[in-house]
Amino acid sequence: MANRVIAADGRRHVFESFYSLIALVFILIACVELCDASTVVDVYRLIQYDISGAPFGSRLASLNHHAASSRSAPGSDLSRTVAVLSLRELNETFIREYIEEGKPLGGLLLLLPQVFRFDSSPAFVDNRDYMDMKKQLVYLEQKLIHSTIQYPVYFAFEDEDLAEVLADIQRNDAAGQPATATTGGYKLIVTSASPKKLAAPTITNIQGWLPGLKADGDSNQLPTIAIVASYDTFGAAPALSVGSDSSGSGVVALLEIARLFSILYSNPNTRGRYNILFGLTSGGPYNYNGTQKWLRSFDQRLRESIDYAICLNSLSSGENGLWLHVSKPPENAYVKQIFEGLSNVAEELGVKVGLKHKKINVSNSRVAWEHEQFSRLRVTAATLSGLSVAPNLLENTGGISDKSEFVDETAVVQGVKLVAESLARHIYGQEGKNINIFADNSSLAVSPSYIGSWLDLLSRTPRVAPFLSKDSPFITALKKELADHVVEVNLQHDVIDGMFTFYDSTVNTLQIYQVASVTFDLLLLLVLGSYLITLFSFLVITTRGVDDLISLFRRPPSRKAKAA
Amino acid sequence: MTMFHFFNCAILTFGPHAVYYSATPLSEYDTLGTSVKTGVVYLVTALVKLVCLATFLKVSESDIFDPSQELLKALIGFIDVAGLYFALTQLTHRNISQNHKFQAVGLGWAFADSVLHRLAPLWVGARGLEFTWDYILQGLEANANLMLSLSLAALGSLMWLRKNKPKTLIPIIYACAGFVATMPSITSYLRWGLGWHLPEVVAFQLFTSLIMALVSWQLFSACQKPSA
Repeated sequence: MANRVIAADGRRHVFESFYSLIALVFILIACVELCDASTVVDVYRLIQYDISGAPFGSRLASLNHHAASSRSAPGSDLSRTVAVLSLRELNETFIREYIEEGKPLGGLLLLLPQVFRFDSSPAFVDNRDYMDMKKQLVYLEQKLIHSTIQYPVYFAFEDEDLAEVLADIQRNDAAGQPATATTGGYKLIVTSASPKKLAAPTITNIQGWLPGLKADGDSNQLPTIAIVASYDTFGAAPALSVGSDSSGSGVVALLEIARLFSILYSNPNTRGRYNILFGLTSGGPYNYNGTQKWLRSFDQRLRESIDYAICLNSLSSGENGLWLHVSKPPENAYVKQIFEGLSNVAEELGVKVGLKHKKINVSNSRVAWEHEQFSRLRVTAATLSGLSVAPNLLENTGGISDKSEFVDETAVVQGVKLVAESLARHIYGQEGKNINIFADNSSLAVSPSYIGSWLDLLSRTPRVAPFLSKDSPFITALKKELADHVVEVNLQHDVIDGMFTFYDSTVNTLQIYQVASVTFDLLLLLVLGSYLITLFSFLVITTRGVDDLISLFRRPPSRKAKAA
Repeated sequence: MTMFHFFNCAILTFGPHAVYYSATPLSEYDTLGTSVKTGVVYLVTALVKLVCLATFLKVSESDIFDPSQELLKALIGFIDVAGLYFALTQLTHRNISQNHKFQAVGLGWAFADSVLHRLAPLWVGARGLEFTWDYILQGLEANANLMLSLSLAALGSLMWLRKNKPKTLIPIIYACAGFVATMPSITSYLRWGLGWHLPEVVAFQLFTSLIMALVSWQLFSACQKPSA
């Protein structure tokens, strides 16, 4: 009796382990989900954002459709296909129909030439082809940013695999066989969760303070001069917006000026009677939100002590010289003083500087230049920029097309010389005198290599503010660099103005599969079925005889006959 | 549609075995036991081969065709023949005729080979979205393998089980058996040494297996005449 119980127990134990083994095998089998796509590519999503609730950009992230190219028949229904287009093939009608008017499309994959890749080695781009492409990319980016697009839009860089795939798709389309579920072809899949709002996008302002020389017995506050540049960017693809010129040049110029003045100010004999305040602000594209918050955080005395502020912007975009943009009328004494100082130095350097006046409309929340935020708080300020016209909202904010190859480093160097020299002459009271403080080949020369290396770093760092966390290595690097030159550095963290909301999911992987059509599978099934039937008949005939084969199909009539 | 493709390739790979079993008199004589036992013998043989390969073969860094290594692999391949010998002669079978014994053994052998070598790649690969011709070619290879196993089993049973063979045919039988036994080495030489692509190799396998099946069929029926 006991033996039998023990035996039964043992058997049960064996069964249990057997069942668990089977279960394990099944789990293992079910879990094998290899990625067996023919091509896997990193793709960058179009930005998705809201302004005061109005949606802009691409509202979807996941993609699962067949691919079509530009050679498909015009007027065909593309609502369940992904259009794969290279930058060169984009034309007006396509942009108008699918991007602006919102014709239904399954998805859009834009292929950019390798030269727009920010992590590749810099290529020398001089020919007209690339300049035209840059213009087209700028135009496309603006169109994409300001439209509401109900399908996913992704950017990818052309390489050999993608070029092959695209050529294949174009061949099929030209032959009149677009890819659908019944005809096979390529399928593009991006798996991604639906994009979520970014909870509290932070902006971080970095400020540096270089105190001037206070004479003994002088209790008054020294006057301050502020030099400000905005360091963040905004573009069609946040993961690709490196903004080499649009804010990179300003940042680099500010750092170089800080370096030069720190050399001067480190020695009490050459320390000027002015404090210098350096500001690296964020939130530039969003009506200079960060600058506004930074200024509001100043205490009254500091704000009142600011003599004037110079904001640096896009120093390399100027076709022929730089422009000084002001909001106070040109007849204003301060404005005249600043402009004269700059023009004198500009003449010596052989650079043209023009003056542009744009009045501020206080009721309009649009802030086109950084100096306007200062002017709204009654601080004299001006912006030095290569651009001659005030950019519109989210224009010229450093998108994909703003690459280091298109930046003229000599223009940036000249801009630095211009500002530093005029500033120094003002601080040391040497206006109008024939003196060159930051002369070439002196220890105070402007260093093109410093500017070059920082421009290079900035050209490889995408800096869209909502996607730049407050403790990102880039911000820490900027802070550290500024701290090397100035006496005191402070960080100010704040939240972007509630008018702008951003959504995540900026980088994804695209899998391209080559799929066979349903008809192919059915055909194969038919062929195999007939093969097996033929084999069966052949074997029956050869081993048992033809009669057996026929008898398989005939119902046994003999039984009925027997019953009858 | 990918499970569909998997289903298609599965019936191509394993269908012929099932069809062979049900179409020929094997099903009437209930020789399933023999086939299963042969399958187990194949498993053991495969394990022994693996151990020998692991012990004696050098791991080469490059993909070049090394004659000495290939010779070693061919020698180890003869363990297959030993396994088949064991299955044909040593296993206790129910009372089935020579005719059916070699067929059941060959069938079991080929089925075990297909399952071991082709089921896992099929399950893992054919279910994906990406389409390749590989799995269909693999199925065709399984068909060729079936024919080869049957031929080898027929020749083996002629060599070891039939005592009275016509003298003239004996060398032919041994030659054919040797050729069929070295087929795997020949295939790998074609693939890696001459650089043939998979479709060409599979076509070659199908062609030779067809020919060998015909030859061994003729030999078998020729040897059957005296006893009948």
